[in-house]
Amino acid sequence: MPTGSPPALPARPIPPWALPLALLGRGVLRACEVMGGMTLLQVRILRALIPPTFDRDETIRQAYKIGVQSVAVVTLTALFVGGLMLVQTGPFVRRTGATGMVGWGTGLATLAEVGPVLIGLMFGGRVGSNNAAELGTMVITEQVEALRLLGIDPIRYLVVPRFLSMIVMLVLLTCIGDLAALVGASVACQAILGIEVRVFWQGLIDGHLLDEFLMGLVKGFFFGGAIGIVSCHYGLRVTGGATGVGRAVNETVVTSAIAIFVVNFLVTSLWV
Amino acid sequence: MPDAARLDDVHITLSGIPCLRGVHLALEAGRMHALVGPGGSGKTLILKTLATLLPPDSGTVALFGEPVAFGDEDRLRAVRSRIGVQFQNLALFDFLTVGENVALPLEEVSPPLSPAERNHRVADSLRSVRLPEVADLPIQALSGGMQRRVAVARAAVARPDLLLFDDPAGGLDPVTTSRIFDLIAREQQESSATVVISSHDIPRLARCCSRFHLVDSGSILFSGSLTEALRHPDSRVRDFFQEVQDADR
Repeated sequence: MPTGSPPALPARPIPPWALPLALLGRGVLRACEVMGGMTLLQVRILRALIPPTFDRDETIRQAYKIGVQSVAVVTLTALFVGGLMLVQTGPFVRRTGATGMVGWGTGLATLAEVGPVLIGLMFGGRVGSNNAAELGTMVITEQVEALRLLGIDPIRYLVVPRFLSMIVMLVLLTCIGDLAALVGASVACQAILGIEVRVFWQGLIDGHLLDEFLMGLVKGFFFGGAIGIVSCHYGLRVTGGATGVGRAVNETVVTSAIAIFVVNFLVTSLWV
Repeated sequence: MPDAARLDDVHITLSGIPCLRGVHLALEAGRMHALVGPGGSGKTLILKTLATLLPPDSGTVALFGEPVAFGDEDRLRAVRSRIGVQFQNLALFDFLTVGENVALPLEEVSPPLSPAERNHRVADSLRSVRLPEVADLPIQALSGGMQRRVAVARAAVARPDLLLFDDPAGGLDPVTTSRIFDLIAREQQESSATVVISSHDIPRLARCCSRFHLVDSGSILFSGSLTEALRHPDSRVRDFFQEVQDADR
């Protein structure tokens, strides 16, 4: 969205020895600008949530689009991730004969780490990029300005419904994905290791992994929030037509992935 | 007649480039004004400033006799409720139906309309642009010309005091272009709103607009009637109107 700005100062030539420093400085300034923009967006979202004054119909529509339409791809991915876990751990289980531990081990890794992170990455790639492209297109086709003119706050009408839907739906998708991954692992367990599915699930239940499951859901909550903020930030800042939309999508996918790993580290560190 | 809108010494710089350089513009209320000028001269920026979507770096914007307070969202909302805009890119929402798009400006009307009254206004508005049967269709189902007519209907549905049209017939065939200009003229006659049309189509503008404002390099070079423009002492003004008319013949 264009805003008035003072005339740019004439650029001074940078001596070659200072070029790395200049690039570093430019990178730091850019990072500060992005972080500042995202923080301001969070503040505006919070202001729209207390008291809740966002569009409920749009929230339901977004929840359907973001969540329900992602179930198939998340389930399919999770099934194979679960199977892959067994392929990786299979030789170790065979060597040690620790068949009773296979359900617990797979469950621990899936519920606490692999499930939420991979589903988060998948969600960021599918939903985050789509959201950035959609908002970016709305910016360049003047739809966001039209909303402002119509007295409709784009944050309340466009951003908050998407932000809330991403949080709620990623938590639910994490549940579904966890279950699908464990089903995939149990099937692979029978097929690859010849260990009965019942033994796998018994080991899982005996492992008391409720804490890990809850940690995975908390991660899903924060991943959803991070993807929502990142994608809305880049989407609403699009300039320059189709190239700008492409750039916003690219930045959304990269920044969402980084945010997921940072949040994952922080939540795990604080939880354990 | 008082001025519905007034820009005084408005300057706007975007990305370090001065785009509006001391614009002075007075729009007499209840008349149809044409904003003309070469591409990139600043017509869209002037319209966005009039629509209160773009705050000036310096200078004043006055609408309906009051200076616009760009920092005060509540007052801005009140002013914006009296403005209707048809954007250059139409800005129709593709996740809404035609009827829902046209109904959007009625959401914030005070006092609020009943659903029946809202539906009636939407149907009336679509009838006025000769699209009575399309309310339930998605926007993408319409042709470019029909979408432009929907945009005209949306701009006018809340019966605003100031109507801004940014290139309302851009890229359309001559027949559809004439229809759209006729629609705008009829809307103005019925509502007595102040209308500003930004377009390159001077012959068609001449049929409905009484005042022309020539924008050149970010400032207003001329304001007056077409006859005055063609006899203007400044050859840039004379030549622009003459060349555009010649090109159209």
